[in-house]
Amino acid sequence: MRQVLSVDSIHTFYGNIHALQGISLEVNEGEIVTLIGGNGAGKSTTLNTICGVVHAREGQVVFEGEDITTLPSHDIVLKGITQSPEGRRIFARLSVLENLTLGAYTRRDRAEFKRNLELVFELFPRLKERQTQFGGTLSGGEQQMLAIGRAMMAQPRLLLLDEPSMGLAPILVQEIFTIIDRLNREGTTILLVEQNAQIALSISDRGYVLQAGQIVLTGSGQELLTNPMVREAYLGEL
Amino acid sequence: MAIRNGTRAGLIFGFIMVFLILIGVPETINVILQEATTNIDVETGQVINTAAFLFVMGVVAGFAAARKEEPDPLSGAVLSGLIAGLITGATTGLMIIILRSLALSEIDLREYLDKLSPTAIESLALRLSPILAGGAHVLIFALSGATGGLLNWIGRGPWRGPVGQMISNTRDRLARLPIVAQAQNSPITRYVVWAAVIAVVMIVPQFLNDYWSFVLGTVGIYVIMGLGLNIVVGMAGLLDLGNVAFFAVGAYTVGLLTAPEPVGVLWDFWTALIFGIVLAGLAGVILGVPVLRLRGDYLAIVTLGLGEIIRILIRSDLLKDFTGGPRGVRDISGPSLFGLEIGSERTFLYFILVGIFLLIFVTIRLKNSRVGRAWIAMREDETVAQAMGINTLNYKLLAFGMGAAFAGLGGVLFASRNQFTGPEDHTLLVSINVLAVVIVGGMNSIPGVILGAFALKGLPEILRQLDEYRVLVFGGLLVVMMILRPEGLWPSQRTRLQFSDEDEPVPIELSSATSAAPTPIKADVEEQKQAATR
Repeated sequence: MRQVLSVDSIHTFYGNIHALQGISLEVNEGEIVTLIGGNGAGKSTTLNTICGVVHAREGQVVFEGEDITTLPSHDIVLKGITQSPEGRRIFARLSVLENLTLGAYTRRDRAEFKRNLELVFELFPRLKERQTQFGGTLSGGEQQMLAIGRAMMAQPRLLLLDEPSMGLAPILVQEIFTIIDRLNREGTTILLVEQNAQIALSISDRGYVLQAGQIVLTGSGQELLTNPMVREAYLGEL
Repeated sequence: MAIRNGTRAGLIFGFIMVFLILIGVPETINVILQEATTNIDVETGQVINTAAFLFVMGVVAGFAAARKEEPDPLSGAVLSGLIAGLITGATTGLMIIILRSLALSEIDLREYLDKLSPTAIESLALRLSPILAGGAHVLIFALSGATGGLLNWIGRGPWRGPVGQMISNTRDRLARLPIVAQAQNSPITRYVVWAAVIAVVMIVPQFLNDYWSFVLGTVGIYVIMGLGLNIVVGMAGLLDLGNVAFFAVGAYTVGLLTAPEPVGVLWDFWTALIFGIVLAGLAGVILGVPVLRLRGDYLAIVTLGLGEIIRILIRSDLLKDFTGGPRGVRDISGPSLFGLEIGSERTFLYFILVGIFLLIFVTIRLKNSRVGRAWIAMREDETVAQAMGINTLNYKLLAFGMGAAFAGLGGVLFASRNQFTGPEDHTLLVSINVLAVVIVGGMNSIPGVILGAFALKGLPEILRQLDEYRVLVFGGLLVVMMILRPEGLWPSQRTRLQFSDEDEPVPIELSSATSAAPTPIKADVEEQKQAATR
C-alpha cells in the first residue's frame, strides 16, 4: 500500500497553548482512518494543521512525498487535500449549486467540473433537487451532504472530514456514514475525525486515539472497537 | 380599525405638515413650480400650487392610513383615509388660522422663524381670510385623504382578484411564445437594451443647462466612486472607510502633473489620467498589504485613519512645496479631444458618462468571473474560502486595488473639472458619502449605486431651495428611505431575498457564481425548474 499522508511528530500551538504535542500518523492510499478522542484532545487541530489553516511549529507533514508543513491552505488544496470543516460551514447565503461551484474553485477544466458535479449529484440526489435553494435553507443533514459534496468537487486525493455526524439525528448519521463508506470504496482516501466512535470505527480501516494532544493508542478499526480502554472512555461502557 | 388607523396616520401627517410649514417647504415648492410654469400669473399660481401640494400630501396621508385596512369593504379604506385627511387638515388648518391672523395684524413672524414670511403665509392660506383658510385646509385634506384611501384600495383590491389573474396569465402566455423566449435567451436582446439605455443617457445632457450638467457631473463622479467602493464593500465584504485617500491620490496626481504650480511639469491630461488611476490603484495595493490582515471592524477603523493621514499629509507644511499645502493646486488642466478643449460642463458630463459605462462594463465582467466568485466566497466565510483553495490575501488586495483605482479616476475627474483641488476636498465626509451611496442604493447592485448617487448627491441640489434646512430635510429623507427600504433603493436580487422574511425555501435565480459555470448545467437547472412547475 502506498503512503498518501505522513504526519511526523508535529507540535502546534495556539499562542502559548501547546495543542498538539508530537502527533504522528499516516494514511495509506484507499484507507479510511479515524481520529477519536474527547473534547479538546486536538482532533480538529490535527486536521487544521494538515490542511494549513494553522501551522506546526515543529515536525513535518508530508503529502505524496512532498513536504507541505508550511504551505498556505490554498496551495494545499491545489495539492489535493480538501477539508469538510467542523460545523459544516456551508455558504448559507449562496445557492447549493454556487456552493458546489466554489468547491471546485481550483478545478478549471469545465468538462471535469461537470463530471464532478454529476458525481456529487449522484451521491446526493437531494442536492440536485435543491440546487437553486440557499444553502442556509437546507436541513442539517442536507447541509452536511452539501459540505461533503463541496469538498468532493475539488476531486481530492485525500478528503478530511471533521465531525460529519455533528448535530444530526441518528438515522441521518447512519445515512451520512453509508455515503462516506461508499465514497471510500469508490477510491477516495479519507481521514475522519469523529466523536461518534462506534460508527466511525466500524467503517474504518485504522484508527488513532488522541488524548491531550498526544496519540495514546492505535490499531485497526475492529481492534479499537473491542479495546477495553476505548470501550470505557469513548463508547460509554463500564 | 378605520378610526384607529385614520387617527394615527392623521396625527403623524399633521405633525409632518406642521414641521414642513415651519421650515418653508410649501413655499419652496411653490417657487419651484412657478419657475416651471411661466404662463400663469403669480397670484393664481400661488393658490394652485399650494393647493396641489396640500392635496398630494393628503393623498399620501390617506394612502398610508388605508395601508393596514382589510381589502374589503371599500368603505374601510376610504373612511380611514378620510379620517386621516380630516385630522391632518384640522392640524394644519388650526395652524394656518393662527399664522394668518398674526400676519394680518402685521406681526412679522420672521423674527422667530425666518421661513414664515408674509408671502409664504399668504399662499399657504390660499389668499383667504383666516377662518376660510382653515376650512379650506380641512376640506382639501379630507378630499385628498379619501382619495388616497380609495387609491390604496384600488391598488390592492381588484388587482389581487380576477384582474391580477388575467395579467399574470397574459404574462405567462407571452413568455411562452417562441419569439419571446428566443428574444429572452438571445444575447442580441441584451445588446439592444444596452444600446437603448446608452442612447437615452447620451441624449439627456442636451436638455440640461450648465448648472444641472454640473450637478449631474457630481452625481456621476460619485457613481464612479460608488462602483469602486461597491467592489470592496459589496462584493469582497471589506469595510473600507478610507476611500477618500485614493480619491485624493487621483485628484492630486492630475493636479500636480498638469498645473503650473507647485511642480510645474505641465503634462498632457490623458497621461495624467492614466497615471492618476494607476497610482491610486497602486496606493490601494501598497496600503492594503499591512491593513488587509485585519478583519471587520478593525479594518474599518484603520482605513478610516488612513484617509485622514492622507489629508493631513497634503495639508502639512512638510509637503507644502510638493502639494501646495492648505492653498491647494490651481489651474489644473482639463481633457481635450483631438485638439478640442472639453470646456463646458455639458461636454465634461459626456466625458464622465463614458467613464461610467466603461466601469459598469468592467464591474459586470468581474462579477461573473472566477474573481467575482472568489470575492463572494470571501465575503461569506473567509476561512472556508481559504479552504476552497482561494488565496484570500491576493483577492483582497485585488479588490482593494480595484476600488482604489475607481476612486482615483473619480478624483482625477473631480479635480480637472473644478480645475482646483485642495485638502478641503478630501475630508472624511467624502468616504462617508461614498459608503452611503453604496448602502442607500443597495449593496452589490449596480443600478443601486446609480440611484444611491442620485439620492445622496442629486437630492441635496434639488433641496437647495430650502437653504439652511436642507441638511435637516435631507437627513430626514435618508432616515425615511432606510426605514422603508432597509435593503437599499435597488437591492441586488440576493440581498432582496435575504431581507424577505420568508421561512420557505427560496428558489433563487442563479446569478453571479453560476453563470460562469458550463452551460449544460444551466440546462439541468432549467429542467429542474420545469419539473417543479409541473
